[in-house]
Amino acid sequence: MHIPDGYLSPATCAVMYTSAAPFWYVALHRVRDALHTRLVPRLSLFAAFSFVIMMFNLPLPGGTTGHAVGIGIATVVLGPWAAMLAISVAIVIQALFFGDGGVTAIGANCFNMAIVGALVSYAVYRLLAGRSPIESPRRVMAAGLAGYAAINVSALLAAVEFGIQPALYHTASGVPLYCPYGLGVAIPAMMLGHLTVAGFAEFFVSAGVVAFLQKSDPSLLGEAGLRRVAVSQARPLWATLGVLMILTPLGILAAGSAWGEWSARDYSNPAVRQQIAASTFHQAPPAQAPAGLERLSSLWTAPFASYAPPYVRSAAFGYLLSAMFGAGLVTLASAGVSKFAR
Amino acid sequence: MSARHGFIERTVDGLYEAMEHALHAEQSAGATGLLQKLDARVKVAGILSLIVAEVLSHRLWVIVSIFAGAVALAMLSHVSLATLASRVWIGALAFTGPIAIPAIFLTPGAAIHRVPAIGWPVTMQGLTTAALLLARVETAATLTLLLVFTTPWNHVLKALRVFRVPVVFVVILGMTCRYILLMLETAHEMFESRRSRTVGALTGPERRRMTVSTAGVLLSRTSQLSGDVYLAMQSRGFRGEVYVLDDFRMSRLDWSAVAAFVALAGWAVWAGH
Amino acid sequence: MLFELDRLTYQYEQLTALDNLTLSIPEGSRIALLGANGSGKSTMLRILDGLHFANSGAVRFRGDELTEDRFGDDEFAFSFRKQVGLVFQNPDIQLFNPTVFDEVAFGPLQLRWPKSEVRERVGDILDRLRIAHLRDRVPHRLSGGEKKRVALASVLVLDPAVLLLDEPTASLDPRSQSQLIDLLVEWGGGAKSVIVATHDLGDLEDIADRCYLLDRGRLVAERSPADVLRDRELLERTNLVHAHRHRHAGELHSHPHVHRD
Repeated sequence: MHIPDGYLSPATCAVMYTSAAPFWYVALHRVRDALHTRLVPRLSLFAAFSFVIMMFNLPLPGGTTGHAVGIGIATVVLGPWAAMLAISVAIVIQALFFGDGGVTAIGANCFNMAIVGALVSYAVYRLLAGRSPIESPRRVMAAGLAGYAAINVSALLAAVEFGIQPALYHTASGVPLYCPYGLGVAIPAMMLGHLTVAGFAEFFVSAGVVAFLQKSDPSLLGEAGLRRVAVSQARPLWATLGVLMILTPLGILAAGSAWGEWSARDYSNPAVRQQIAASTFHQAPPAQAPAGLERLSSLWTAPFASYAPPYVRSAAFGYLLSAMFGAGLVTLASAGVSKFAR
Repeated sequence: MSARHGFIERTVDGLYEAMEHALHAEQSAGATGLLQKLDARVKVAGILSLIVAEVLSHRLWVIVSIFAGAVALAMLSHVSLATLASRVWIGALAFTGPIAIPAIFLTPGAAIHRVPAIGWPVTMQGLTTAALLLARVETAATLTLLLVFTTPWNHVLKALRVFRVPVVFVVILGMTCRYILLMLETAHEMFESRRSRTVGALTGPERRRMTVSTAGVLLSRTSQLSGDVYLAMQSRGFRGEVYVLDDFRMSRLDWSAVAAFVALAGWAVWAGH
Repeated sequence: MLFELDRLTYQYEQLTALDNLTLSIPEGSRIALLGANGSGKSTMLRILDGLHFANSGAVRFRGDELTEDRFGDDEFAFSFRKQVGLVFQNPDIQLFNPTVFDEVAFGPLQLRWPKSEVRERVGDILDRLRIAHLRDRVPHRLSGGEKKRVALASVLVLDPAVLLLDEPTASLDPRSQSQLIDLLVEWGGGAKSVIVATHDLGDLEDIADRCYLLDRGRLVAERSPADVLRDRELLERTNLVHAHRHRHAGELHSHPHVHRD
């Protein structure tokens, strides 16, 4: 699912580079302190391994090709930050030496596969593996599922990046300038192949290699010294975040607007006025929106107004998308805060 | 020997050759073409700006012009068109083709033609978008490979350092290239030795088990080797920074190249707007 | 005193590679570390080269204790790296530059020598080792003997006071082997020290004045080469030679002998 040059508009590429940058920054800082230790050659080793794995392109139903990434095994051995770097390096080498994945798309590819991939993989792995012993089969399963989850989230992100292109970037006569397929095509096309063939390949590689290493070289697994993220506190947070993200479409089903989030216009809408009244113990809302609310509400038009980006036709999906981006931003911010708080 | 096993072996061998070629391309005798003479920094910045320019461009003819320029550079630098074709053009076509071609029929617009027998509409918009996609991908890939084929890889790394790419990243990049070669060599040897010991076809689960154990052994063996490589580097004084022997000095040719790159990229952005 | 080991113990993944080693190596020594595979000779060389650090006990180089912290100091690290050079057994792990010239120049560049001096010294050493014709070649595509010479050149270019070699003659053809021995003999002596780890007993008297025998991480003997070669029982015990048994006309007898690699 490497995105080549020309599929994403320069604006999208720039956004993806900007999204990737803070994560690279944090990852580099964490690794730099370990520059004189075994972490660096081990990281390069897994970058090399990931590179080789990614070059095996499997034909997927839907016309695209897919491949395993090795994100599962990399995260297990290196932890999320070093794994992020390792996969990013592999992606850069592929872009530079093989033209596999574009140079302008490095930001996007790294964000999808390396950064989000590593975080999802790590979260799922820690969640599922728990405190089971290094040699247990539970770890094997956890690694496999972590890889599977990661690769599918990566594919979904890539599909979204593809899919929003034609609506946003086209000429006056309607010629899509970059990727010509909207979300309706991009998402099924990408997900079909990755939920099946590529996902299975990743599961197989992650689980299989972990199982093999458990017997032959367990020193490569479970080296606490290489991972400096505090695990036990983070796990419930990740789990909660994930569950919340999936449940957000249910929010739409809940009748009417969330309490207190009425916009200035709602006050003149009779249907909404009834809702407001019903939720405030039947006290009639003011006849007009409060003046301050009027003034301020026009100040900022959010890019994802009402959680439904204009180019997404399904409301539920728009909600989920926004939740994902929102979660991403929150993660970013918290990573930034944890950096400064250290 | 099963077909799948053959596929993996062939891919590994192909990768090894390609990687070797990419890393040591400039070793070919008499490779004193135009691009080889240029300062690595000029090439990295110049080629990158051309890629960005062509991605920014909205007009097909501008992108094709840049592609033509890239081909011209290739010929002036003794990079054979056959190499470009096999390494870049065919690969990009194989990947982008299946994606671009359906767009010809699926993109909404006025149909200018209908495919006989099936009746699928071919729209002008469809043709244009497919052409744009293909042109962009091919041009970018060509430019990228030109950079790599005409610059010693430790110069590329050094140029990245000059552009303030963090040292950790550049070091890991360099080491990873070396380990990739090591890994591919080891894999190749393992396949050869296995081939001499395996008789008859393998069942599906057997093949899978073998693939996994190969990957595992490969990882173990390369892990050992790669640890040693790092020790060897430290033994000779490596402390983290990248040093090269050749001074990066700007000659008149380099300054002319800078001007040419800037002009071409600038024109592309303006004309393609 | 060049190197001092004081009850040095080094463990690696639940394996005790070196066990309570105590010995002293004076300046200007020519030492052979003898032992079968797995005896700890390679590990000891790496400890002497400051690549691994002891779990307990100490190792001192010219009075300075070699610890990880010490190597954090740039000045000490540069000084040490110049004075002590290690040639690894497998030349491939030591060859990671695009050309032979770059490879040999790697060390001096890391130590931040002036570039003109680097070029001169590299040219010099390439001539001395008679590999000047290989200067633009890709290192890992060379033959075994050529690779070894490039690896050696890349260490000798720094003109170290101590040369550590790990199985230098392993997998070399006989002519390359003898050329290498000649080189070592010529280079060593006087202020220079050479420590060779090997399980090859041929040429022992040429390359060493003193032998240390290691067995499973322990020092079992310290002898002159002649004494070592005479002591069959010791050699068999430390697995440096072995005895084949066979029958002659119904009678069973054995010859101890050494296999050359």
